[in-house]
Amino acid sequence: MPKGYLAIVLHAHLPFVRHPEFENFLEEAWLFEAITETYIPLVKVLDGLAKDRVDYKLTISLSPTLISMLMDGHLQSKYLKHLNKLIDLSGREIERTKWEPNFNKLAHMYHSAFKEARYIFADEYRSNLVNAFKRFQDLGGLEVITCCATHGYLPLMEVERNASVRAQVKVASDLYKKVFGHPPPGMWLPECGYNPGDEEILKKEGIRYFLVDTHGILFGTPRPRFGVFSPYLTRGGVAVYGRDTESSKAVWSAIEGYPGDYSYREFYRDIGFDLDYDYIRPYINPDGVRVNTGIKYYKITGTANHKEPYVPEVARNKAADQAGNFMFNREKQVEYLLGQMGDRKPVIVAPYDAELFGHWWYEGPQWIDFLIRKIRYDQKTIALTTPGEYIKLYKKYQVLTPAASSWGWKGYSEVWLEGSNDWIYRHLHKMVERMVEVATGNKGAKALLLRALNQMARELLLAQSSDWAFIMKTGSHVHYAAERFREHAEHFTELYEDLREKSLDEEYVIRVENK
Amino acid sequence: MGTLKTRERREFRFPPGYGDNRIVILARDPWWVFAYWEILNSKEEEVLRRIEASGDKCAKSILRVYDTTDINFNGHNAHSFFDVDLKGLANSWYINVGMPDKSWIVDIGVLSQKGDFYMLARSNVIKTPRFGMSDQFDAEWMMPEEEYWKMFGLSGGFGAGKGSLEARELIKKRLEEQVSSGGISSAASFYRKPGERKFRLVVNCELIVYGATEPDAKLTVQGREVKLRHDGTFSLRFALPDGKQTIPVDATSKDGVDHRRVTPIVTRKTD
Repeated sequence: MPKGYLAIVLHAHLPFVRHPEFENFLEEAWLFEAITETYIPLVKVLDGLAKDRVDYKLTISLSPTLISMLMDGHLQSKYLKHLNKLIDLSGREIERTKWEPNFNKLAHMYHSAFKEARYIFADEYRSNLVNAFKRFQDLGGLEVITCCATHGYLPLMEVERNASVRAQVKVASDLYKKVFGHPPPGMWLPECGYNPGDEEILKKEGIRYFLVDTHGILFGTPRPRFGVFSPYLTRGGVAVYGRDTESSKAVWSAIEGYPGDYSYREFYRDIGFDLDYDYIRPYINPDGVRVNTGIKYYKITGTANHKEPYVPEVARNKAADQAGNFMFNREKQVEYLLGQMGDRKPVIVAPYDAELFGHWWYEGPQWIDFLIRKIRYDQKTIALTTPGEYIKLYKKYQVLTPAASSWGWKGYSEVWLEGSNDWIYRHLHKMVERMVEVATGNKGAKALLLRALNQMARELLLAQSSDWAFIMKTGSHVHYAAERFREHAEHFTELYEDLREKSLDEEYVIRVENK
Repeated sequence: MGTLKTRERREFRFPPGYGDNRIVILARDPWWVFAYWEILNSKEEEVLRRIEASGDKCAKSILRVYDTTDINFNGHNAHSFFDVDLKGLANSWYINVGMPDKSWIVDIGVLSQKGDFYMLARSNVIKTPRFGMSDQFDAEWMMPEEEYWKMFGLSGGFGAGKGSLEARELIKKRLEEQVSSGGISSAASFYRKPGERKFRLVVNCELIVYGATEPDAKLTVQGREVKLRHDGTFSLRFALPDGKQTIPVDATSKDGVDHRRVTPIVTRKTD
């Protein structure tokens, strides 16, 4: 019997970006990069575990916007086109680097990885990766949870809070049921943004647990007996887990985190920026702006600008070492905690952004693979679990109301509420009020009226994505984020005005429905 | 619902106001509150008339911030309040309330020269997040004080044995170091940025080997077969490292009778 548990939780999310009106669209590449660099490599890892019959437990949250995009035929075929171009480019790279063996080996590596990605995506999962996650959930190792409809940041939904939060939660839960055939076991709160009382709404949708950042538990009321090493029950009975700091820092920390190891692949040296313009032109953005291709030949090397060629075998060994180190530290942690936990076994909850693995940290999926296998075969102190599994261990848990918190910079709402983005809330709040007004005023709506109301709800939800405020703050793609926010507000407001003046315009409804 | 008349559509702009008279507040963190508002001219005029009618004059626009923790606020029973002077045409403000775990209500209004406050709008009530361990205990899960601090330190990743003040500072520091999650949309949040490049020079060489033979001939370059274009031309591009490259190009006719070889030799040297 293990002395304690580790629950790794990966949160996968991208904002809904789909522009059928354009053949190529810069921001659609977020999805394509994530598929090639994160989701497919993770699927490969889980596939390998299934083939080798390795017992494991892993939790992944798939945001409803991500699920919708992964299931969308238009984006699927665009992705295949994108991937084919990468296969073509990496093929040309094999030829170009013929006299540079270090790079030539890497060109071969990328070329076969892209071809394998195409096989996994198109042949194994018929272009729908949600099938993959469903399959691993059905096999028993993976616990798939949901997130809010459009990743709306709940703490700032101050006006009509109940209606806003409920819509975000209900739409997510409905989609999950449709796709996975049962209610979601848990929910990832966008940005771990928790506002005391929101758990009541989760409860109504049948959600059994959610996660908050460390201080959400530590500053909870009453005083928590077990720190973040046990779930707690909120008053309505929904369980809450807190993030462990130590395991989080090992991966996340900008300074001492694993991904900064000098033998790992350097993210910021991509041939999309490094190679001759005329040569790379057909593979970058059609407007001629250089972008990342995903083909990167260097290792981090050190802090200086000079970079050495990447050596995959060395990096792989490093990932194995670090997985071993991570496991060892969790064993020590559990052994130490055991004496502090009374009759209970501690659980260490380690949540990460899924896109960290593979996209930013190229070796991340290998690290997870090593970690899972080592935990299974190399020790007996800890076992993997999921939040949904662990809660079954005991009949009683301490009751606690977490403190308002998020996992964003500084731990609260400042990332989404500061000089660059605070202007959006007066409009968002107004939209919510108007939505409540037209929804209550038009109960039993049918036909065109119903379609218009549904479309307004959709526009409102999309405007609520935490991503727009986040991007406005971080400073790249700002124009796109502002434009998206404006466009959803526009559609919403036009429909609202039409409705109020009783002049619904079917053509307009159709136009925005098809956007 | 009729579709007879269609509203005229103009270019959409966010309106400067929605015709409301209101103020809304949001908690940014345990110490700061954000307020935005919209005040109707008619409301402002009405208040100004009232001030004048009482023989007073308007001095300034202010936010009055009330601590209403555990109170059913009626406008007069706050634990305390403080004022913030508004400048210019502001329609939002960040207020440093400085106190976690308290409830707040904010009035926007006018302060008269005699010191009377005339309210224009009253906000919703919010609570700043709690910062620090709760002093409420759960009888069923009681432990000695130092045991709680031990769990606190272990959870916060700074080990057991830190006192309450130090532990709070450590948590605050950790939250400030927190890497914000950004998915893929933003590189701004992640790990190392590229090293500082105030001035850079990057020079690489590539070599293009190109030529033509008969469209149906067989062509190899350094022994590797090359696919010809329909007109028999070919073009190859190589990254050229320092050193000598010998590049035999061999063409053989379809019937195998004719054979030609051309061997460019290229040397690159970088000082």
